[in-house]
Amino acid sequence: MPDAVEPFFDVLENTYVKLSDIQDPENRKSIGTLCVMVPAELIYAAGARPVRLCSGSYTAYSIGDDYIPRDACPLVKAVMGFGKIRALPVFDNCSLLIAPVTCDCKKKLAGVIDTVKKTVPVHIPPLKKEDADTTVFLKELYRLIPILEKETGKQVTAKSLAEGINMVGYAQREMSEFMKYRRHDPALMSGTQVMAVMNAYAYMPVDLWAKQMRRLNAEMKLRLEQGHFVSRKNQPRILVTGSPIAFPNLKIPLLIEEMGGVLAADETCMGERGLSDPVSVIDTSFDGMMRALAFRYTKPCTCPVFVDNTQRIYRIKQLIKDNHIQGVIYHVLRGCLIYDYEYQLVEEAMGEMDIPIIRVESDYNEEDVEQLRVRIEAFIELIKLKEYKKEA
Amino acid sequence: MKKRKIGIAVVCAVCAFLLVSAFFATNFVLYDYHMEVSDYQYAKSEEEKPLSAATSVWFSYGDDGKEVFYGIDDGISEESLTVYALTQTGEISVTHGSENPIQEDSLGHFIAALPVTEMDLDGDGETEQVYDYARADFGSNAFNPAPQSFLSEEIPFELVFTERKYIMVYYENEILTDAEITVTSYNGETNTYRTDENGWIDGLSIRDIREGFTASYSPDGETVYRMQYALEDYSYFSVHFWKAQLPLLLVFALAGIGIVAVHLIRNRIEKNNPDYKIYSRESVGIYPNTLHQKTTSKFLMVRWLCLFAGMFLWTYAGKLIHQGQLGNAIAIPVFSCPFNLDQVMEVPCYYLSHLPYLFSRYGEGFPVLNLIYALTFLGTLLLCFLFLGRILCGFLCPAGLLQDLMDKLRRALHIRPIVVTDRINRFLQPIKWVWIVLFLGFIFTGGDFCDICPLKVFTTAQGGFWTNLYLGGFFAVVILVGSFFIKRFWCIICPMGYLMGLFKRFNLFKLKKDCTACTECGACYDACPMRIKSIYTEREKENVQTVDCMLCGECIHKCPEDKALSMTFCGKTIYQSSRKTFMSKFSEKEEE
Repeated sequence: MPDAVEPFFDVLENTYVKLSDIQDPENRKSIGTLCVMVPAELIYAAGARPVRLCSGSYTAYSIGDDYIPRDACPLVKAVMGFGKIRALPVFDNCSLLIAPVTCDCKKKLAGVIDTVKKTVPVHIPPLKKEDADTTVFLKELYRLIPILEKETGKQVTAKSLAEGINMVGYAQREMSEFMKYRRHDPALMSGTQVMAVMNAYAYMPVDLWAKQMRRLNAEMKLRLEQGHFVSRKNQPRILVTGSPIAFPNLKIPLLIEEMGGVLAADETCMGERGLSDPVSVIDTSFDGMMRALAFRYTKPCTCPVFVDNTQRIYRIKQLIKDNHIQGVIYHVLRGCLIYDYEYQLVEEAMGEMDIPIIRVESDYNEEDVEQLRVRIEAFIELIKLKEYKKEA
Repeated sequence: MKKRKIGIAVVCAVCAFLLVSAFFATNFVLYDYHMEVSDYQYAKSEEEKPLSAATSVWFSYGDDGKEVFYGIDDGISEESLTVYALTQTGEISVTHGSENPIQEDSLGHFIAALPVTEMDLDGDGETEQVYDYARADFGSNAFNPAPQSFLSEEIPFELVFTERKYIMVYYENEILTDAEITVTSYNGETNTYRTDENGWIDGLSIRDIREGFTASYSPDGETVYRMQYALEDYSYFSVHFWKAQLPLLLVFALAGIGIVAVHLIRNRIEKNNPDYKIYSRESVGIYPNTLHQKTTSKFLMVRWLCLFAGMFLWTYAGKLIHQGQLGNAIAIPVFSCPFNLDQVMEVPCYYLSHLPYLFSRYGEGFPVLNLIYALTFLGTLLLCFLFLGRILCGFLCPAGLLQDLMDKLRRALHIRPIVVTDRINRFLQPIKWVWIVLFLGFIFTGGDFCDICPLKVFTTAQGGFWTNLYLGGFFAVVILVGSFFIKRFWCIICPMGYLMGLFKRFNLFKLKKDCTACTECGACYDACPMRIKSIYTEREKENVQTVDCMLCGECIHKCPEDKALSMTFCGKTIYQSSRKTFMSKFSEKEEE
């Protein structure tokens, strides 16, 4: 394990085990967010700090189960659970919760969780091709500004917005550097650890995360030079896509690696997606920057809440190409209808590319681990067999 | 739905206004020099005889552009002077002595003649019959490429300025080919040249022509014809030059007022309308911006250099390199005004908007020359259309540079742009069609596109040429205000650009997209000055160049994905998007 990963693990440990609040030297106010559509840049510009509250905690899920209908997804239940038990300081210390109205579960959550935490719902247009849709979202972002300013007592100015964009942009710069190392075959670092690093982003100030990321990149570079690999050349390289894999529910990545696969890439919102698309500022006026945010947080987003989401297929294809993927595991959280809907499309596309794909449905409980293990093991063996036949 | 109807009504009204007002273009006068030929003051020169004048009679001009002087050697009586002038009716008016030859219907071409004298010019002891003439062309207030010749019995030897860089020699009303001509240039030096098969003096530089010279020709050794030639021409930063800037300043001043007005009106609307109230929090001002650094790409630097080079070539180069036009008939399709006589190559906007004149460039008497000219013109134009296409818009067009500079100005002031949404863009398209109809067809209805051309004032005035501004001057203000708020506003409705775009299939430069690498983030669409939407929605074709694309490279510059967008030349990639370059503009916050 690379030494530079430690600080990320510490953050996760502090959050979930030691139950301490986020360590922020600048002592900014916490603003809770759900989903990837809330612009972190805007929150930093207002002098606050966002924290992603999408959690994978089984305990919280069990508690939330009493408040949320049975068929809703475990992620929503976990968020509601934390809201009710008031044991997680990261959640409790948020002064505000910004909840994008994305899938049905999140939509109702935004309404229900308002009873325990002040919540601002943000409308996400389900269509995004027309300029009018972008304008709708742009207005939502503008509406957020006074709310944030009231919370922090600081003004969002063109300067602070530019600084916010730069701050998050720098993290994305380190991230895209890191992605290059992640692509390397054989792998330089375990994919589960990568998922943990990505999840740690939710509970770290972006500048600190970027700083640690730079250290990690330096170490990865060293590893690459020394030929210090964690996988062998012929281990099947797997892509995970589908419903969010939120810490601490990392059982799928763990099982993949336990069964001899390499988790080479992921297309999930708690993983790469949250940070892979940067803000492209075209015009440096205040409005220009706001427009750039509105573009970045809807247009490239491959979340299936959008009606037409064919771009996700292309993203997966590109990841397969870049990361030399040999098999795709499609993760569906129980109750996550929108991801389940898209499985057919992805399966067809993978069929055309001759890439094996398997749909794995699960939730946060640990009782299905052995079933999953059997399925994933079989899948990895299938890939190995396929590769073997190809060579023969 | 209501908004849509209003929009359609507005567009129809604008199109109708354009079409109707075009017919009354000359009635809307923005700036008028009153530069009729009859406004010139005619007087006897009190200055010394210029070095270039080897004749006993000469013409010269005053500094402020409204005076023309004639001069005669001491000892010759003023009464013997005869001045011939071309008139609009085609007749030649004749005046004698100090009488003013400039009349209401004069065209601005004058020849002064002295009676024959006997002189020993070559110093061989025998006297020759010497005919002295001086010619003045009021050249810089009109663009008339066809040669203006007198072809009068009384003037057997004549020099005619043609093609912006050649002097054509007539002898006894015939073109003088392959003859020896002695030229005294502006510094008093004498050189001998020959005339070619067109009667053009071979090798005479544009500087000689502009600063005045004397050509003499002796057909048999016993008679000598001499003609001093003075084209009205002014150096940069003279009174005349600054006067030429007046309409430009006027247009810019009006544009400034327009910009402030648009800005204030917009703010007012937004303050009062709760829907837009959110936008009005923005304050205007220059503030430090952390996103500016390291964003220049080499490709865009080259583009800026090319744009400035284009501006130089089509505005100043002809004069500064003393060569005039380098290729007389070579048509490079950019929007630069041919009323600027210093442009280095032909700009086809004049002949495309005056199609019937294309085949009579040199007047009636030169069918072969006319045909050669028209064929070269069309040929080079077609080559440019086919192989270069709209990359000329992005890289060379002086009008494009002007608009890019307006956009830079807006960015420097941090005023937000008017975003051309796909709906506004749809409404702009009919206006483009109206322009195309006017551009190609207006001449057939008796109009002149130059009267409504919004770009006439810019390169002409910058080069120091005087122009009268009619309706086009008002359009120029609209274009300036438009391009301040909307990058490359004119290009969206440019008629010539559209014609160029039609041949995009054959272009050597192409814009390619890797549809898998694209994440549809829309940065390219937001950056595109032409608002081409298909560039980010396209998912099948590799070639994403559309009729509107002018290959400015802005989309590639703003694209964050590796190799998603690229520009190719003959199939070779010359510029492509790179994530690393894109990301390099973000830097770690400095520790304080």
